[in-house]
Amino acid sequence: MSPLLRLLVRRLGISLIVLIGVSILIFCIARVIPGDPARIALGPNATVEQIATLRAALHLDESIIAQYGYFIADLGRGDLGMSLYTNRPVTLDIAEFLPATLELVFFAGVLMVVIGLPIGILSARYRGRWPDHIIRILSLVSVSAPSFVWAVILMLLFAFYLPIFPIAGRIKDIYEIDRVTGFLLIDTLIAGNGAAFWDALRHIILPAIALALSGIGQAARLTRANMVETYAKPYIEMAQAYGFFPSRIARVYAFKPSLIPSLTIIGLDFAAMLGNAFLVEAVFAWPGLSRYGVAVILRKDLNAIMGTVLIIALTFVVVNIIVDLLIAILDPRIRLSQRVGA
Amino acid sequence: MIRSLRILAANPMSLFGLILVVIIVLAAVLAPWITPYPTHNGAVVDFAFANDAPSARNWMGTDLVGRDILSRIIYAYQISLVLGIVVLSISVPLGAVVGLFAGYAGGWVESVLMRLTDVFLSVPPLVLAIAMMGVLEPTLINAMLAVTVMWWPWYARLVYNIARSEREEGYVLAAEVIGASTTHIAFREILPNCLPAIITKMTLDMGFVIIIASSLSFLGLGVQPPTPDLGSMVAEGARYLPDSWWLSVFPGLAILLAVFGFNLLGDGLREILGVDE
Amino acid sequence: MNKPLLAAALLAATVLTAPAIAETVLRLDEVAVGELDPGKASDYADSILMFNVYDTLVLPQQGGPGHAPHLASGWEADGATYTFTLRDDVTFQSGNPMTAEDVVFSLERMQALGAGLSYLFAGVSAEATDTHTVTFTLEEPYAPFVASLVRLPIIDKASVMANLGEGEDEKGDWGQAYLSANSAGTGAYSVSSHNPQSETVMAKSDSYFLGVPDAAPDTVRLRYGLEAATVRTLIAQGEHDIASQWLPPEVITALAKDGAQLLTESGTGGFYFKMNTTKAPLDDVNCRLALASAFDYATAIQMIAINDAVSAGSPATGAIPVGMYGANRTDVVQVQDLDKAKAHLEACAHDPADMNIKVSWIAEVPLEERFALLMQSNFTQLGIKSEIQKLPWALFAEQVSKPENTPHISQLFVNAVTGDPDTLLYGMYHSSTPGTWQSPEHLNDAKVDEHLDAGRSAGSDAEREAAYAALNARLLEIAPTIYGFDRQSVFAASNRVKVPALSDPSKAFGLDGMGFSFRLMEMVE
Repeated sequence: MSPLLRLLVRRLGISLIVLIGVSILIFCIARVIPGDPARIALGPNATVEQIATLRAALHLDESIIAQYGYFIADLGRGDLGMSLYTNRPVTLDIAEFLPATLELVFFAGVLMVVIGLPIGILSARYRGRWPDHIIRILSLVSVSAPSFVWAVILMLLFAFYLPIFPIAGRIKDIYEIDRVTGFLLIDTLIAGNGAAFWDALRHIILPAIALALSGIGQAARLTRANMVETYAKPYIEMAQAYGFFPSRIARVYAFKPSLIPSLTIIGLDFAAMLGNAFLVEAVFAWPGLSRYGVAVILRKDLNAIMGTVLIIALTFVVVNIIVDLLIAILDPRIRLSQRVGA
Repeated sequence: MIRSLRILAANPMSLFGLILVVIIVLAAVLAPWITPYPTHNGAVVDFAFANDAPSARNWMGTDLVGRDILSRIIYAYQISLVLGIVVLSISVPLGAVVGLFAGYAGGWVESVLMRLTDVFLSVPPLVLAIAMMGVLEPTLINAMLAVTVMWWPWYARLVYNIARSEREEGYVLAAEVIGASTTHIAFREILPNCLPAIITKMTLDMGFVIIIASSLSFLGLGVQPPTPDLGSMVAEGARYLPDSWWLSVFPGLAILLAVFGFNLLGDGLREILGVDE
Repeated sequence: MNKPLLAAALLAATVLTAPAIAETVLRLDEVAVGELDPGKASDYADSILMFNVYDTLVLPQQGGPGHAPHLASGWEADGATYTFTLRDDVTFQSGNPMTAEDVVFSLERMQALGAGLSYLFAGVSAEATDTHTVTFTLEEPYAPFVASLVRLPIIDKASVMANLGEGEDEKGDWGQAYLSANSAGTGAYSVSSHNPQSETVMAKSDSYFLGVPDAAPDTVRLRYGLEAATVRTLIAQGEHDIASQWLPPEVITALAKDGAQLLTESGTGGFYFKMNTTKAPLDDVNCRLALASAFDYATAIQMIAINDAVSAGSPATGAIPVGMYGANRTDVVQVQDLDKAKAHLEACAHDPADMNIKVSWIAEVPLEERFALLMQSNFTQLGIKSEIQKLPWALFAEQVSKPENTPHISQLFVNAVTGDPDTLLYGMYHSSTPGTWQSPEHLNDAKVDEHLDAGRSAGSDAEREAAYAALNARLLEIAPTIYGFDRQSVFAASNRVKVPALSDPSKAFGLDGMGFSFRLMEMVE
């Protein structure tokens, strides 16, 4: 087995354990929520018999271990149960709302990389001079406020005072776009509707920036620190002594080694963004999974809570596996040094 | 100590951070004496001055029932700081103990403890806290509990990484040779080497705890009114944009200022204590 | 070229290039997600959907009391038996003709589901005597029965039976899965798409039995859960038409200043501070009276004013809103009286120093937080401590099912779901009704029960008036509730739409949500 494959298998194994752990954790939390989910689902005017019937149908009267057993058995068949909130299968709800959140988070992730890394490099290149100072202060400011504060400030500045961007939603309702991937930026292109694509892009920019800002600051800070460290390495000093152009040194010798730690942090920030999307979606009325998540928590919709948290944890785990593999590909030493117990 | 202060003073940004933190802490402690309207932290209504824009009377304007926003922000700092201190003073020792034992003991203890930690770390922090607050009544104590539950694993991870690299070091091996107990080695030999990293992370985390706690109350899962809280002030104020911008912008900036102060100070400490990022 | 001429030329150019008939779109919003299943409809968003997608046998008279035939062509009442003759020219959106069988099925489905407002039809049975005749039989006389029929939407039996889901009943799930996402009514609008997270889209139906005027919107988008700031700006930018009534007054005021029109709907309900009469210290009538006298009614009225002309309510005169049977004269309004409050408090068996009153407010209605703060400061004047608790609607509705879980004080807008006082007051106060969101008082008072029973079984208007007047007096005497104000719903709206039913009193329905009959709206553009 190649080292890369072995790494992948190992990571998958650990991920499975983690996901089972998460499912038990959330299952326990969801079951001790006060309030009877059956009564909440049936509404204020339901009779006692109706509630009893629904409780039985949901196995609510059995032990928590038995309930978990039912849950896992259903999960094996790809069934997360019915959402009491939307009255539809949870899998259907997730399939509907997850793409909007992922689109926002991925877009923010792209912003984080394409803005964060270059300004980090810039900062390192001009270390100790004014561009460095400005970038360092700005990136520290950007990590110093929660995403909802950025959302409010950005909305006020660029949607109210300077009405450049739309205030809410994903796209104007005049566009009817066939759903293929659920990612509007892709679906509009598939539909060949340029105007709709432009509109969707305008809608996503403010929420994505609000979500990405602290990640951008984080990525810039880290890239700078790593670059500075790499620049101090003998081989760079040698390259400088040989009189290579600074831009060539930055590109060829300093960038790649500095990128690796940044990738790890980007993986972590991605997770943070999945959580923070809860806040940004609330401000910008973004119809994603996070709003659904808050709604189902408030309604004690057990199946839906479980499904939502599991899918977020799964996304997080998958992204981290991808990041680990990327790092292993970029840096053969890490690939070889993978040991059990690490 | 004096040397540290001198290094701090030599770095203007860190010094600025220290000053910010000191001012905020002092303001929070002295709130009853320095706020313009000390009673406005509670259920006071004064509809004659409701929803007023910033003015000489109310520098940051008034909220929808006529309370002074500046006064409420200063009181809200009390809540934020107390929450941060409580969360860290529980999760740091807890995480440190878990991390130390996992890192030093190795074997199945390591596997069990660290997989447990991974489970917590693999749910986005805010999602876990939100799920917890869905269970619990929205009170200050419960918010502290929810944030603590998601916070200790980060310290476990941090201490674990250091402990694991230290366990092969000469001084640890030497201690083992002379027959020192596991507890002694973990707490007396390894822990001191983790302290600079822990202290730096704690300073930075004061900021992050404030962010997470305000995020919870932004979603309505934190401290309840009339107790002032920065997150819920932003959430409620955001409904009245753009007309009554002062309701949400000033509390938002207040969060930014406090967290910025702790971050600057943490950065300074990192340099002084020689901790890697 | 002078300006008018230029304008005319441009106009001509636009007319030539634009499509012959532009499709008109009406966009409105509600805070709660609308329940599409008409058998489960209970709140405002549900009602808007129900009144447009489905029809009922009768409709309230516009601009006055009483009811007019709608799907029915007429009816006869004989004691507890009502015989309805149906119109023979009505078809469902599926093309199926509407018959008496559908009416019977709709009633049975409502009763089988037991959700929404099905309690209105407890003890009612229906029989199809021929294709277009239905006979309803009531177990006991119920004066407002005809009024309650505005809450019995008629469903296409054949469509539902063809789409039954799994269930324990002989009729499976009674089509619940199907009707939660599809429409099966006779209404002027059919559902094009229903997304519980964001919106329900409805399109004008060609086959409506009364015809739908051209001026009515072609497409309607009912959006859910928009933030107040979002709605405010969308309207200002011309991208939204009618805001929900839950916008805070400041935002409505700001919109009105920017030129938005204000639509109003009034007269069928009130804003109530409901006291849990089973929990100390509010189990003592003097304590309740003390709180009721301490509340600052005048400030509350001031808080809900939109501008000089429009307000979201008028001072309460007593337990029953002005305009209904048994209401007090408009010149006797509830006022704050601290001396009276203190006297009552002294007579109360509980020590004020030990009290800690929990005042809840519904998270979805931010205005209520301010009322909670107002109460808290009022109670402080009596030396009573209180705590404010924010409750999401779903959680609140669950908590009130048990008296011990119900907060001391709950704030609620309650409306007579059929426009009749019985449907406002019976569910709130009768001891036989279970704890629901309408009845956080958990009141158990023999005299109140007696008056309520008299009100629903009385034969004449005069008897009903007398029964409800007695009820009003009794309620003020035992104060289960602080009667905040008589509610008027205010909707900020763009000038792209005209809504006579919400702006012209002679066209008003006197039934919550009915003003949102899209077929009666006119798009101007």
